[in-house]
Amino acid sequence: MSAIGKITRRKFVIAAATIGGGMSISIRFAEAAFSNREPWARATGGGAVELSPWIDIAPDDTVVVRVQSPESGNGVMTQNAMTVAEELHCDWTKVRAEFISLSRDLPEHKVYTSVSGMGATFAGRSTLPDRMQLLLQAGASARERLKTAAAERWNVPVAQIEAKNSLLTHGPSGRSLRFGEVAARAATVRLTSEPVPKPSSEWTLLGRSNPSKLNNPLIVSGSAVYGIDVRLPGMLYAALVQSPVHGGRLKRCDFDAIKNMPGVRGIAIVDPDEPRKRVKTLFDGNENAPQSAVAVVADHYWQACKALEALPLEWDDRSGAQWKTTDQIYRGALAALDHPGEKIEKNEGDALKVLEQSKRIVEATYLTPFCDQAPIEPLNGTALVTPNRVEVWHPAAMTQQAFLTAVEEGGVGPENTYFNQTYVGGSFGRRIFADDVRMVVAIAKRFMGRPVQVIWSREEMMRQGRYRNMTAARFKAALNADGLPEALLVRTVRQDAQQGLVSSAYANLGTIPHVRIESREFPLHILWGAYRAPTYNSNAFFFESFIDECAAAAGIDPLEYRHRLLARWPDEGWRKCLATVAAKSGWGKKLPKGQAQGIAISNWSMWSQPRAGTTVAVVATVEVTSNGELRVAQLDLAFDCGRVLNRDAVLAQLQGGMIFGANMSLNEELNVQDGRIVEDNFDRYPMLRMADTPHLRVHFDALTGHERHNEVGEPPVGPIGPAIANAIFRATGKRIRSMPFRKHDLR
Amino acid sequence: MQIRLNVNGGTREVDVDPTTPLLWVLRDHLGMTGTKFGCGIAMCGACTVHVNGSATRSCRIPVEAVADAQVTTIEGLAPDATHPLQQVWVELNVPQCGYCQAGMLMAAAALLKAKPKPTDDDIDAAITNICRCGTYPRVRAAIHRAADAMRSVTVRQS
Repeated sequence: MSAIGKITRRKFVIAAATIGGGMSISIRFAEAAFSNREPWARATGGGAVELSPWIDIAPDDTVVVRVQSPESGNGVMTQNAMTVAEELHCDWTKVRAEFISLSRDLPEHKVYTSVSGMGATFAGRSTLPDRMQLLLQAGASARERLKTAAAERWNVPVAQIEAKNSLLTHGPSGRSLRFGEVAARAATVRLTSEPVPKPSSEWTLLGRSNPSKLNNPLIVSGSAVYGIDVRLPGMLYAALVQSPVHGGRLKRCDFDAIKNMPGVRGIAIVDPDEPRKRVKTLFDGNENAPQSAVAVVADHYWQACKALEALPLEWDDRSGAQWKTTDQIYRGALAALDHPGEKIEKNEGDALKVLEQSKRIVEATYLTPFCDQAPIEPLNGTALVTPNRVEVWHPAAMTQQAFLTAVEEGGVGPENTYFNQTYVGGSFGRRIFADDVRMVVAIAKRFMGRPVQVIWSREEMMRQGRYRNMTAARFKAALNADGLPEALLVRTVRQDAQQGLVSSAYANLGTIPHVRIESREFPLHILWGAYRAPTYNSNAFFFESFIDECAAAAGIDPLEYRHRLLARWPDEGWRKCLATVAAKSGWGKKLPKGQAQGIAISNWSMWSQPRAGTTVAVVATVEVTSNGELRVAQLDLAFDCGRVLNRDAVLAQLQGGMIFGANMSLNEELNVQDGRIVEDNFDRYPMLRMADTPHLRVHFDALTGHERHNEVGEPPVGPIGPAIANAIFRATGKRIRSMPFRKHDLR
Repeated sequence: MQIRLNVNGGTREVDVDPTTPLLWVLRDHLGMTGTKFGCGIAMCGACTVHVNGSATRSCRIPVEAVADAQVTTIEGLAPDATHPLQQVWVELNVPQCGYCQAGMLMAAAALLKAKPKPTDDDIDAAITNICRCGTYPRVRAAIHRAADAMRSVTVRQS
């Protein structure tokens, strides 16, 4: 058995009892077997037979795999289907996928959530052990039931049946049946014992195939239905504005001024103080809380936008208005670094004493700004509310969080709330919390009986983000005689307590004997949330910049310095990543004047453990011209996520993550004026484009083959920025200690 | 106001405020949702269509300005999505979330029409669309490959 089996033996048993032949089977018909343009599961249609809540098979052999994770660009829909197909032994060209219907969950005794849990409806991490095991088991179980059905039909022992490529063959007699011909019978089969999925060494699809993603044809033809593309009979459109200063309240709104404008049907005022019956969700903090808002509802979206523009509004800004400028916030956060932390995150040895006595001190202060995820599909959603029923069509990045938020805001209970998961036009953390769904339902419930589609303008979306937090950090190290850190003190200041620095690389290597990490909260009104690799995207910059400063102070090559620090770390993947990326990028080679290389290595999300998470090492090759213009010419990346299940999908995620990390570091910063976010569109919040993209080189040679298939979407984001900053130092002698780099004068 | 439009080779009549951007007429009045809304200020290119064959960002162009023009959207780029770019896009797994890709494809198709053998610099200049997922390296590779495929077809036909 693979590590997957070892890790999740308990889950396996639970899954076996629930997914496969042990549960009662209902025969239902899935229209989606024939078209998944609208990717949510339907309860009506014609033709297909349900083998389990996860798998339908149609008479023409079409297999529909029901996927619990929304597809936001990471290929999770295809990956989940591949995992099922690995055990089902079906013809891959017959496979379709659709998203599970959480509306089935309650009436069918938590058919999905009892086995997959809440986090499993999150768009990422579909190859982690729990989810892999679940899907492999679902596929194996369905296959054995198909075999049993064929054996019963021919009255032969099931052991003589082979299932391959959607065909069931009886070797001794040479007879065969297609999956679609016995699916209805298979649906009635109850297995006496659940099959054990094959070991990973026998996989034929996973790790061996890079199929084109199932939804590609829909994307290139423009027919995939994202949230914003939902069209319902009689649908109205809404444009909204929320309190420009987060936490403020609507004071006055003069509907009479716009009520006669073309197409206008009315307005909806969302009051955050209205009593709501709370429903337990995964994230029910401030990021998901209702905000004061007003929406104009009209026949067409453009009419709603024009009327909203003309609507006289007054806001009570409340306490957030005290923050007049970004500098005022930065100064406050940096000043807070002068005080000891309120919380000690890690304390090994006696770092304070060693630092006090040391003569060889390296110290540096860093800052990362607020950033917006900025997926290209603006926030949106559609809801139809009637007195006893709420139905939502929505591009959620975590279906269950969105469903439960709709339940809370709709107030008619989970049994009367229906959620249709659409395709998702990017998330990067923005669509996790379901603050968007809440607003959609809050607006639609004021227009009972008519479906209402709410669309955020880009400006509204960027000003009303759930941002990557601003973080300030101070690092102080005492170097020993060999130039390595003997003691390290880290202080960080940010809005929330989730610092996450303890899981950063060098805090856990054992190489640094004295480590103290302190944190302090810096309360602000600005709403924050998840941004591709939360906390890590800042922490990797701090740690890897600082280690580079220590190497420079010690007069040791930055690659060599990291090798020495990592020498005793019990995970060879780190050293392999460094060695691979150095060799492939030609580390140490002579470069033309103005050019230099910088290196960084980090891991997400190992949680302090060796052979966990995904380790990524990056070498950036940059050029700084004599007039201070920066060009990132090339990024080399080596990584270790254990093993790879789909090489091309992994490559795509790493390429995308490299560009995301580069943009975050070079370009992104949100500013504050009088409590309001200043940047509101791509003219002021620049994005890398084709012409600006560095030459990207991803190297697979550092993979250790350790038995894990860890995620690859978030890990590359961390080391890109520090690798670039470290390269800038080697090109110019200037240390870049804050993002975005474009603000720094490199002349 | 009644406006007559030529979209994807057919004539469509819409009753609409003539200053409404073409994007919203396509999406909300004609139900053609392949053309996407991204930024509303012609910066991201998700709304790219062809107006008389030229790549045009539809979110800022009033519908009255295209009343006499030939408009082509992603739905009309090629019958059954068989444009060489669409085929190569599927083959090379270009899209991630896919939301910006219709605009990318329309920009790329206009480029290949004007320059059947584009250089990297041509691609940099013509494809200024934003992709937050970071598909740029694959978009570039796919344009080159589609250009090759289209040339070999032309050679065979001549």
